[in-house]
Formats: sequence, C-alpha cells, structure tokens
Amino acid sequence: MTQAALGSLLPLAVAAPLAGAAVAPLVARLSPRLPLLTSLVTLLGSLGLLIAVAPSVFGGQVVVHYLGGWRPVRGSALGIAVAADPFGLTFALLSAGIGAVLVLYTLSELGGLGPRELGGYAALVQLLLAGLIGAALTADTVDLFVWFEVAALASYGLTGFFLERPPALEAAFKILVLTTIAGFCVFMGAGLLYNTHGALNYGQLAQDLTGPLQSADLLALGLLLAGFATKAGLVPFHGWLADAHTAAPGPVSALFSGLMVNLGIVGITRVALQIYPAADTPVLGVLMVVGVASALAGACLALVQDDLKRLLAYDTVSQVGVITVGLASAQPAGVAGAVYHLINHALFKSLLFLCAGAIVHRTGQTLLSQMGGLARTWPGLAVAFGVGVASIAGVPPFNGYVSLGLIHSGLTDSGQYVPYALLLAAQLITIAALSRAAWLAFLKPRAEDYEHRELLRPGMQVGVGILAASCVLFGVAPSYVLEHIADPAASALLQPAQYTTAILQGAGHVMQLRTEFDYADPAELAVALSSVVLGILLARRVLRHGPPRVTDLLRRAHNGSVNDYAAYAISGLIAVVATFML
Amino acid sequence: MIAVNYLAAAALFCLGLYTVLTRRNLIKMVMGLSLMETSTYLLFISMAYRSGSTAPVLLNPPKGQSPEQLAAGNVADPVLQNFCLTAIVIGVAVTAVFLSVVVRIAQHRRTLDADCIRELRG
Repeated sequence: MTQAALGSLLPLAVAAPLAGAAVAPLVARLSPRLPLLTSLVTLLGSLGLLIAVAPSVFGGQVVVHYLGGWRPVRGSALGIAVAADPFGLTFALLSAGIGAVLVLYTLSELGGLGPRELGGYAALVQLLLAGLIGAALTADTVDLFVWFEVAALASYGLTGFFLERPPALEAAFKILVLTTIAGFCVFMGAGLLYNTHGALNYGQLAQDLTGPLQSADLLALGLLLAGFATKAGLVPFHGWLADAHTAAPGPVSALFSGLMVNLGIVGITRVALQIYPAADTPVLGVLMVVGVASALAGACLALVQDDLKRLLAYDTVSQVGVITVGLASAQPAGVAGAVYHLINHALFKSLLFLCAGAIVHRTGQTLLSQMGGLARTWPGLAVAFGVGVASIAGVPPFNGYVSLGLIHSGLTDSGQYVPYALLLAAQLITIAALSRAAWLAFLKPRAEDYEHRELLRPGMQVGVGILAASCVLFGVAPSYVLEHIADPAASALLQPAQYTTAILQGAGHVMQLRTEFDYADPAELAVALSSVVLGILLARRVLRHGPPRVTDLLRRAHNGSVNDYAAYAISGLIAVVATFML
Repeated sequence: MIAVNYLAAAALFCLGLYTVLTRRNLIKMVMGLSLMETSTYLLFISMAYRSGSTAPVLLNPPKGQSPEQLAAGNVADPVLQNFCLTAIVIGVAVTAVFLSVVVRIAQHRRTLDADCIRELRG
C-alpha cells in the first residue's frame, strides 16, 4: 500500500472504538453481553489497522495523514495532523491489544451484570481506549488536549462505576478534581503556544521553538509538563492514583495502570523530547528529579500497604518514575529502555491487577493481612502472580531485566551516577514490597479455608495467560524487540528534527539508531541478582520488625484530603514553572 | 483596554484555586473549579482579540468587501475562539459528572465535608 493509503487508515483506528462506544449501550438491549463482544470486535479491528501500518512505521517511515486534506501551506499547518511514529504507534498497539485482552477478561468476570451496566461499561472502556489511541497518534497540541479530556471523562465514569460503593465515589471525586486541574494546565499551555507561535502542529512548533525562549513559552512548557505529569501519576501530582485504582474493579485498575497513566508519559515525551528539544531548557533535569522522586516515594509507599490493589497502584507511581528517568537520560540506551519498560509495565502491571482482581472477586478479601495460602488454593494464579513479580523485580529471563538494564546503561553512559544509585535503591524497595505481597497473599500458611472458592473462568484464564506469556516473551527475545520496536521509537524521539520535518512534509524517514543489550553482562546480572537478594532481606525485616520510620512520614502526607492533594499538585506546578522561568 | 481582561482572568483563576485549596465543602470546590474554567475562557477570548478587529465571520461580508479581503484584514483569531467552544462543551460534561458524584456522595454519607470523606488514605 502507498503511504497515503496507510495514512488514511490511522483515523479509522480511533474511529472504530468511538463508534463501538456509541453503539454499546444500544446493543445492550438485545443481549447483555453483546456490548462487550462489540468492543472486542472494534478493538481487534483497531489493532488490525494499526498492525497494517506497523511494518512501514517500525521500518523508519513516519506515516502522516492530514484530516480533511488540510495539508500545510508554506510550512504552516491549520489542519489536524495524525502521524504515526514508532513511539506513538507502540503505545497505540499496546492500548488496542491489552484493551482487547482486558475486555475478554471482563466478559467472564463481570459478565453477570445487567444490560445497563454492561452497556455503560463497554462504552466507557472503548471511549478511554479511543482517547489513548488518539493521543498516541495525533501531532497537534489541542487535539492532544481533546483526547486527554476524552480519556479523562471515561476514567471518571469507570472509577465511580460501582456507584453504590462509597470508596468508589470518594476516589471518583479525587480523580475529578486533580484531572480537571491537569486539563486546565494542558489547555492553557496549548493556548499560550498557539498565541505566541500561531501553531498547533508539533512540527511547526518545534521549528519555531529554538534559541532563547519567551517567558510565555516557558510558562507553557511548565503547564504542559505539570498537566501530563498529573495524568502519569508522578510525584507530587499523584494524589488521585492510588485511590482510583483501589476503588475500581480489577480490569479497570489494569486499564488505568497499564495504559492510562502512559497517556501522561506520551504527553511528557512529546513536549520534552519532540517539541522543545532545540530550545535550551532545563526540562530533562526537571524530569530526572521528578522521576527519581516518584520511583522512591512510590516504592516506599508500596512497601507499607495492606491493601493489595493499593500496593500495586503505588508501585505504578514508582514504575512511571523509572520510565521518566529513562526518558530524561536522553541517551539511546536509556530512551530505548524507557520505551521497553513502558511496554513491560503495561504487560506486568495489567497481569498483576488482573490477579488481584481475581483474588478480590473470588475470596472477597482485599487486605493482605487476611489473605494467605492462596498458592495452595489456586496454583495457576500463583504462577501468574509470580511471573508478574519476577518481571518487576528484573529477574533475568523475564522482561523487566532487559528494560531496567537498558535504563541503567543509559544513566551510566551519560555519567549520571546519583540518579543511578537512587534508582537502584528504589528497585530494591520495589522488590521488597512485591515479595512481601507475594508472601502474605500466596505463601504464608492460613489456618482456616476460604468460604467460597471457585476456579477461574475460561476468559479470565486466557487473559491472564496471554499477559503472563507476553511477559516471558518480551524477556527472552530482547534483540528482536529492540531492533523492531524500541530502537525505532528511540530514534524518532532522539532525532526530533527528522520526525517534525516528516510531519510538515506529509511523509518522511527517520534514521535508525542502534543500541546493544548484552544479556549475559556480568555486572548487570550481579546488580539484578544482588538487588533481588537484598530486596527479599528487606521484606523479611519489614515483616518482622514493621516498616522503617521514613514511611510513616510519607503515609501521613497522604491523608486522604482532596484539598491537600490539590495543594501538592499546585505546589508541584509552581515549582516546575519557577524552575523554567527563573 | 485588554490588559484588564488578563488581570480579570488571573484574578478569577486565583479565586477559583483558593476555593479549591481551602474550602472543604464539595459543592464549593466544584464552584471553584468552574471559576478556574471560566478564567481560561476569558484568557483565550482576550488572546484572540486584535485591536479594532471585526468578528471572524466571512459569510455575507459588508457591502463592497469580499471574503478574501476580510480574511486578510483585521479579524479576531477564530482558532482561539474555537478552543473556547470546545472547552465549554467539555466543561459542561465534566461539571455534570462532578455534580452527579457529589449528589451520590451526599446520599451515601449525609455530608459534603471533604474532611469526613477520607476513607482512602495512607
């Protein structure tokens, strides 16, 4: 197919789930399960369209389509550009693929709900995924804002999906307040950029934003970063994240944690690496600080949680921090590692949330202190959970090992040893937190048997199985993934001029950078294995003597007050803006 | 004087933010967020303003002028005004979701005090 024909497929990949969202509540009248089946079809259709574009894009082409044929005239674009670069397409493929797996899982877990509930649920899920795919493929700042809001509106609905549960309502209010503020930030940032440069297109903005910037540009940069950091759940913008994940049903938490937070990462990446790179700003330094802070704070908070889903949610804060650190290293290995880790995080965190959802659904227990002995009751589930934990921990055959190793070498390549050391500390605490969870839920003996035990239904087994298999697959074939996915993505991110020229010209090629990953590097193996050992020792200490005192301070800061969470986010915004402007 | 608009937008934004940060009543917080939203509309409309410009409507031009002349001449920026429309539509939807959540919270908890709705913490 020609480039133009491929480009015209891109809007369809977004339109399919949008159309499905409109149809879902209607077909629910025919049969309660029909809306979920429809969403499965639309998501697989969207996935198929994206796969059709994939070979060309991962081969280095940037496939561009201007909606309505409004192509740029003399270098200035008024029409909305949809552009598939390897980074955006990776995220779009992940969204459609994992979205389909999650719908399949929901079909067998929540399939017993009434037609109204299932119709609404299917509509919201498809709306959220359409927002994510749209945001990944767009090359226009205000379009990005619109997809951000589409995803946000759907996420409000999904957080408060079980309206009869008071915690769900509380969580919905928190996510509403913080995401609305984030939306204002993104909106004002995009508007300010348009006002000073008369441009919305990434390509045009990047060509204009060179040399010393005006203060309006710096203000816009701060606003955009803060807005997307809220969506990504980076410290100190993360107040909503743990609550929203705790209250939502299992597949929804997986959707939020595996996919939705990555919308923030996509926004941050576009702004920091593709729109503003030519200008001399301390944006990478800011991202490094925020990323390391998130990695550490998230891991410490995860270490002391008693609620399994809340523990996983705080681990998401930590993992998003790790991805941000990789991006902020701006080295080929670090950025490729960040993209790789983004894929891995989507896989293993969805897997873990599905396992947690299955446990909550089957035993009715949400607290780790009341679980135990699950390894004997559900060996299959224990294996799946173990795969997820080993992946996060970076144990060699699993996928986390590769991406963490790449991020580490990105940091050492650029000589940033302080973030490297802090990242290792965060990794150690993360391992401790998850092995503590695995011990308490699965391995610790439990005196009495569970009241109701039921085997996993086929759809749930398939969903969990696909995700666990992918975790292993992405761990054992690093050279394939690097060559065909992560390296092209990093090339487009690190050579922004080629990407932005391609957008304005309607097509273009990005030169490929190559990174190497040595699987049997003794230093990296030693780091991985020693952090696992130290992490398990730390988990033992926490189980015996209680958590260290630092964590009390952090827990007290998370006091559940929505005013305070908003205040943290606003002080973060002020700090970020001040760093750029002073 | 357009500077007044910018000052008013900043004042409205800060007023809304102050409400969100200091009021514990959920309805008041929603009102604060609405104020912040309104301030962005004012900011955008003010940014679209050009001194002495006409509305960016090219249909039925005044006598003796063609649409092309109008477009090349002094008109307010239609793109920013468009953003405002988009944002208003989104804002209405968000406020509706906000208020329905608040109503549900009030039904369940019999309170609107954000300090009493802190089950999820730590």
